[in-house]
Amino acid sequence: MTAALSERPAALALLRLAMGAAALGVWELLPRTGVVDPMLLPPPSVVFPALVTMLGRAPIRSDLLVTGAEIAVAFLISVPVGALIGVLLAEDERLGAIFNPLLFFLFGIPKSIFLPLFILIMGIGFWQKVSFGIFSTVLIVILSAASAVRSVRPEHLTVARSYGATRAQIIARVYIPSMLPILLEALRIAIIFTFTAVILAEMYASRTGIGHQIAGWGENFMMPSLLAGVVALSVIAVVINEAIRMIEHRCSAWRT
Amino acid sequence: MQRMADLNVAETPAATCAVSLRVDALSHAYAGHDVTTPALADISFEVGSGRFVVIVGPSGCGKSSLLLMMAGLRRPTAGRILCAGRPIETPDPDRIGVVFQEASLFPWLTAAENVAFPLALRHTSRAARRIRALEMLKLVGLDGFGERRPHELSGGMKQRVAIARGLVQDPPVLLMDEPFAALDEQTRMTMGDELLRIWSQTRKTVIFVTHSLTEAVYLADEVLVMSARPGRIIDRIPVDLPRPRTYEMLGGAGFAALRDRIWQQIRTP
Repeated sequence: MTAALSERPAALALLRLAMGAAALGVWELLPRTGVVDPMLLPPPSVVFPALVTMLGRAPIRSDLLVTGAEIAVAFLISVPVGALIGVLLAEDERLGAIFNPLLFFLFGIPKSIFLPLFILIMGIGFWQKVSFGIFSTVLIVILSAASAVRSVRPEHLTVARSYGATRAQIIARVYIPSMLPILLEALRIAIIFTFTAVILAEMYASRTGIGHQIAGWGENFMMPSLLAGVVALSVIAVVINEAIRMIEHRCSAWRT
Repeated sequence: MQRMADLNVAETPAATCAVSLRVDALSHAYAGHDVTTPALADISFEVGSGRFVVIVGPSGCGKSSLLLMMAGLRRPTAGRILCAGRPIETPDPDRIGVVFQEASLFPWLTAAENVAFPLALRHTSRAARRIRALEMLKLVGLDGFGERRPHELSGGMKQRVAIARGLVQDPPVLLMDEPFAALDEQTRMTMGDELLRIWSQTRKTVIFVTHSLTEAVYLADEVLVMSARPGRIIDRIPVDLPRPRTYEMLGGAGFAALRDRIWQQIRTP
């Protein structure tokens, strides 16, 4: 039954669409029928128009841009820095032995408890969000890059060397293709960390950004706007995630 | 002149062949904190051009290390290795091709790209690489499998690809490090026959490391028997069974006698 379904992608897509529509239908019906208080959960027929109006307002668009910029800058700094540190830790046994336990401890601590510290040190502003975003992201990038290096098979290195590969060729033709699947998966997870950290920092203390707006709408009981913000951010997160997943899929077709 | 040489080769191979590879007083020791562990002790032998020589020995005797040294991937503590008259100190794919155990193919490349990998390192043009790779795949019996990825190939097919890769630059010497160790018995027998066919077509010098006595006797012109660590050559056994070798020979008295002779050497410490 399930096997038959996976062989018919059109039928599967149709069923998934129906599921989505059903979920929206339930969301619409719950407040309309009075099962849930419409003040607490406005139906999609209210939320989506609110979203459209919201996106039409210049201040909201600039909030979205600020949040987007914070996420992008934090991510673009975290990835190369984290990858470089991770590769160094995996390649140099002594460095790895010294720093790995520390990294694992840090990784286990919820990053949100450091947020007040960041505000005290950095003040409130663009770089406070970016630095908190980096702090939350860089560890997962370091650990993933290190494990990506360790996933390179010694047999493959021996083969390349036996055919006279130079150091640059070994990096380009063995290390990078071996590491790519793990690195891309790490990027996908990393951007979720960056996204979460930046929004959290905005909600906690900020004057700009969509996270700040969402916190405000919540405090002021503006449910349609709040839910519109949630929908907008969800869509952005899903689009980013799927984009990376598509690249990932193309680069790691061999990994089956 | 060339024809004369060829005739001689056909009649009395061992006597007239030029030396293709020579290992000269080679020793190796691993340096530890306060003790050095001897791994290989005073190994000397030579392999005539076009010969099929098998090295057998108990596990841990250093036969794989010896092969890595012949490939230029590891430097011995003492002694030297000469191939075509010149020392081997670093990998030289023009003189030596290497075939490793299973899992040595790059999973992100197709079979043809794997075969062409050594050529890609030397910036051969894409078109020339492809022609050569497909030619090699045909030689190893994988015509039409060029676009498959390693995970789509059986264990035996993967090793055929690895052999094609070892031969792609047409080196005079092919080193093989337990290439069929991970295969099942049937595939292993088939691959043995296939290797002998490829060998007789290409006339390469083959040095083949294994721990299977049957495989050693079945394939070899000559078997070098190594002792347990520190590894040394304790016997050189010429295999005078006729070629082509056939499955029926496995049950013959001559075959059993050769295998027993090796076994007696290896079992006694």
